[in-house]
Amino acid sequence: MKKKIVATLLTAVMAASALAGCAQKVDPNADTAASKEATEETTQDATKEEAKTDETAAPEEKTIESCEIEFWHGMSNKQEEVLTQLTDEFNSSNEYGITVTLVNQGSYGDLSQKLQAAAAADGLPDMAQAYNNWLNPYIDKVVDLSDFVATDFDNYDDIIEAYRNECSEFGFVHALPFNKSTYVMFYNKTVLDELGLEAPKTWEDLTTIGEAYVEKYGNAAWGVDDLAGFVEASLRQNGEGYVDATGALFNTDGGLETMTYIMDLYNNGLARLVGEDKYFSNVLSAQAMLGYIGSSTGASYITADGWELGVCPVPSNKESAAYCAGTNLVMFTQDSNKQLAAWEYMKWLTSAEATVTWAVGTGYLPVRTSAYESAEYQEFMASDVTATAAYEQSDAFFTSLASYDASNDVRTAVAAKMEELILDETEPQDALDALVEEINAQF
Amino acid sequence: MKSTKVSNLVLDILKFTILILGAIITMMPFVWMILSSLKTSSEITAIPPTFFPKDPQWSNYQEAWSRAPFLRYFVNTVIVAVGSTFGVLITTVLSAFAFSRLNFPGKKLIFSLLMATLMIPGEMLVITNYITVYNMKLEIGETRIMGIDSYGALIIPWIASVFYIYLLTQFFMQVPDAIYLAAKVDKCSDWKFMWKIMLPMNKQAVVTIGILNFISSWNAFMWPLLVTNDPNMRVLSNGLTQFQSEAGSDYQLIMAASCILVMPIIIIYLFLRKYIIEGVTRSGLKG
Amino acid sequence: MEKKSMKGWLYLLPALIIITVFTLYPLIRAFSMSIMLDYDMIHNTFTGYGLENYQKVLSDKSFHKALGNTTIYAVVVVPCSIILSLLIAAMINGTKKTKGLFQTIYFLPYVTSVIAIGIVWSWIYNSRYGLLNSIISFFGFDPIEWLNKPKYALPALIIFAVWKSMAFNIMVFLAGLQTIPKEIYDAAKVDSTPRWRVFLRITVPGIAPMIVYSYIMGIISAFKVYNEVYSLYGGKAGPADSAITVVYYIWKKFYQSFKYGEAAAAAVILFFIILAFTMVQKLVRKFLSR
Repeated sequence: MKKKIVATLLTAVMAASALAGCAQKVDPNADTAASKEATEETTQDATKEEAKTDETAAPEEKTIESCEIEFWHGMSNKQEEVLTQLTDEFNSSNEYGITVTLVNQGSYGDLSQKLQAAAAADGLPDMAQAYNNWLNPYIDKVVDLSDFVATDFDNYDDIIEAYRNECSEFGFVHALPFNKSTYVMFYNKTVLDELGLEAPKTWEDLTTIGEAYVEKYGNAAWGVDDLAGFVEASLRQNGEGYVDATGALFNTDGGLETMTYIMDLYNNGLARLVGEDKYFSNVLSAQAMLGYIGSSTGASYITADGWELGVCPVPSNKESAAYCAGTNLVMFTQDSNKQLAAWEYMKWLTSAEATVTWAVGTGYLPVRTSAYESAEYQEFMASDVTATAAYEQSDAFFTSLASYDASNDVRTAVAAKMEELILDETEPQDALDALVEEINAQF
Repeated sequence: MKSTKVSNLVLDILKFTILILGAIITMMPFVWMILSSLKTSSEITAIPPTFFPKDPQWSNYQEAWSRAPFLRYFVNTVIVAVGSTFGVLITTVLSAFAFSRLNFPGKKLIFSLLMATLMIPGEMLVITNYITVYNMKLEIGETRIMGIDSYGALIIPWIASVFYIYLLTQFFMQVPDAIYLAAKVDKCSDWKFMWKIMLPMNKQAVVTIGILNFISSWNAFMWPLLVTNDPNMRVLSNGLTQFQSEAGSDYQLIMAASCILVMPIIIIYLFLRKYIIEGVTRSGLKG
Repeated sequence: MEKKSMKGWLYLLPALIIITVFTLYPLIRAFSMSIMLDYDMIHNTFTGYGLENYQKVLSDKSFHKALGNTTIYAVVVVPCSIILSLLIAAMINGTKKTKGLFQTIYFLPYVTSVIAIGIVWSWIYNSRYGLLNSIISFFGFDPIEWLNKPKYALPALIIFAVWKSMAFNIMVFLAGLQTIPKEIYDAAKVDSTPRWRVFLRITVPGIAPMIVYSYIMGIISAFKVYNEVYSLYGGKAGPADSAITVVYYIWKKFYQSFKYGEAAAAAVILFFIILAFTMVQKLVRKFLSR
């Protein structure tokens, strides 16, 4: 018994220090008042957990009554198949008689609307996949997992740091990472070889390679699927901040440099908007461009017919920064027995074994460092260029801050404004001013 | 006289040319949809485009079909479409009759009020209705009549439509008052008059409303997804979301699934068309 | 008509119950939401009453844009669709053997789900491999980037919408044409009245109620346009939001910004605009019939 308490305490302290550590590492925002507050809060919270766990001291034998857990997700096709397979495995092998029921709620858009409606009707499911910015209006209905992570989780530090940051940005652990992806660069290797050039590593490379391609083929060379994500990543690559709860943070010289880099790519015809083609995977497949930055899960939509697909980390500048997308697992059930049951399932989905199966089967990324190092995943990576590129940039992973009210608006406003600025071939300084103004107007 | 004949012929030719051209424009997107459903994903976005698929991929249909329980969806879609159409016809005929033939206090006010409800976008009402349905859970024995995952939730909110009430009222108003008065003289009750005279006289309008409602119920998408969690309660149009993700879409499969979605209704329409025309000729007899 | 009695209400009852629960009630809620400050739908809390939501919406540039687009859309789509549909319906009505065939074909756009057909139209509009540009370049014009350039975003939407809405109008007009007695046409034939005169003097007045109906319904649904935008641009409102409509704006405020009060205020404003449009139409009709 004593041993157990000590162990629990130890994990709690570790979790607390890890959390505090992360919060500081949300680098560009670290010196703003808001994030400092968050840091303090997290630490306090974690300390509270410590006290709490001490009081309730985990019982010797955990008992969970047999129950059914409803899990809303937005996965389809192959992804849904693998999720079903993992869930079946859990349902048949868990010792408590827990049955997880998967409920497919359509696309992310459908899922988020449905969660919002369910929150309003007080009918949230036991568990769901969710992005942080969906949760702002009903974060109070999300179960605080800090306690669970502290007392009953296998090596939380093994979870990739960027994901841990994301899952605690509301000031407590509200989620566990699940279907994570990152933006990588997909390119036509055959054409690049013809040009006698190497894959781009820096901003300058993008420009010089792009110029060579445009000169020879006439088409714009580059594209990005998610403009807002690209702007944020580029700012971070230049050591700049993006947006926090107070507004835009990049009305600086470094911000201007970044906008100059971006706007020059477009204004000089090296990059183009996706427009009518909807996804660049279509354009690349039709060999009408050299390469694009898009989600690592998009690989399955690229058909390399008569050319070879290359994948590399996103080109960077002063620092490297790679945007991470994908949802997390959140818990809503208020029933304490169901919480324990749902936690068992969440632990399973984020276990090294399951995350590897998941990643190999779907093209999403493992959520644990140890999973990357596992023999099975290493073997998979050897044959999968996308996974290799994603792994190469895993030290530079970051997620966009989403725990402020206007985060959803900022995302769409930046994408629409950037499109407008690019269509109008705006000068970098004007573009910077307009973008900053647009972002601040969302608050 | 001769010149009018010639000009009539010219006009006829002109008429058919316009009609045929218009028909081609109208049909083109459908033809394109069917042809695309048989292409490979790379052929769909190929430049220059191919009109006919090089090598028809019938397996697209097989794959689309296997992605979701379409058969079950189909059955549900039919149940919901038939149920809501039946309900709509009853409430619409009753209301249209009241508005066109009966005199009651507050008639003008309630009519304007109903018309006003058309002017607010449905997107605004959805969440409130979701909350209503969520709280209306009603089970008789093992069967759920109302609430999430019930046919009631899929059907009942849609069994009255101001849109159709207004349309049918317009038709009913056209029936000359003389017929109504004559019936009154014959001691025909309002109820009997409605079923025996009004309805048959406006058969075509009623069938038209039935078809319009059937189709919109068939294609309804957002509401069925919202009020169901159980895949066994979903409908065909929900199957379309299986082929899109944030990183790309399987267009050929979306097109195949769309064809699966549209075909039954076209067949039903073709079948019912004969009935409509028959209804028209019969109602033409009244003179 | 007989004297007033409560019987009418009995006939109305079934429809009224449903409409009250699923339309009137949420409608009243929407109205009240629009005057609640900082209304939070999820927790059902607010900080007071006032007109700030209206102020915010009315001073929002994005709302102005949406309102402008929607008005242009309604003013162009509805008349175009009605005139074309009327001509087509009259032509179809004048055919004999092929009537059923044409009727079926012209009704097709109404049958299919707007999601699927929006995707097809976005291919038709494609600047490089789209059908429309093939036709345009056949006549020697330069291809147009329909879906890439903000200035074409609205025209592209309008063409698609006219195509889509004609089916319903043709159907209604054909139904209306059946109610015009054949004898009148036969009489006109004997008198060898020119066809355009027959069309203007017999056909159009004969189905005037259907035209009014189509106009009102057309205006109402045009002001509520949303699905067409969503499906044509694959979930966006055109390049740089250039084809944003009022309902799209409302949807965005509601589901994306979680500003329920502002969304409701925008919906109420839309309500009064549609009301004004239908009132004007009513006044014009009264004036003309005098």
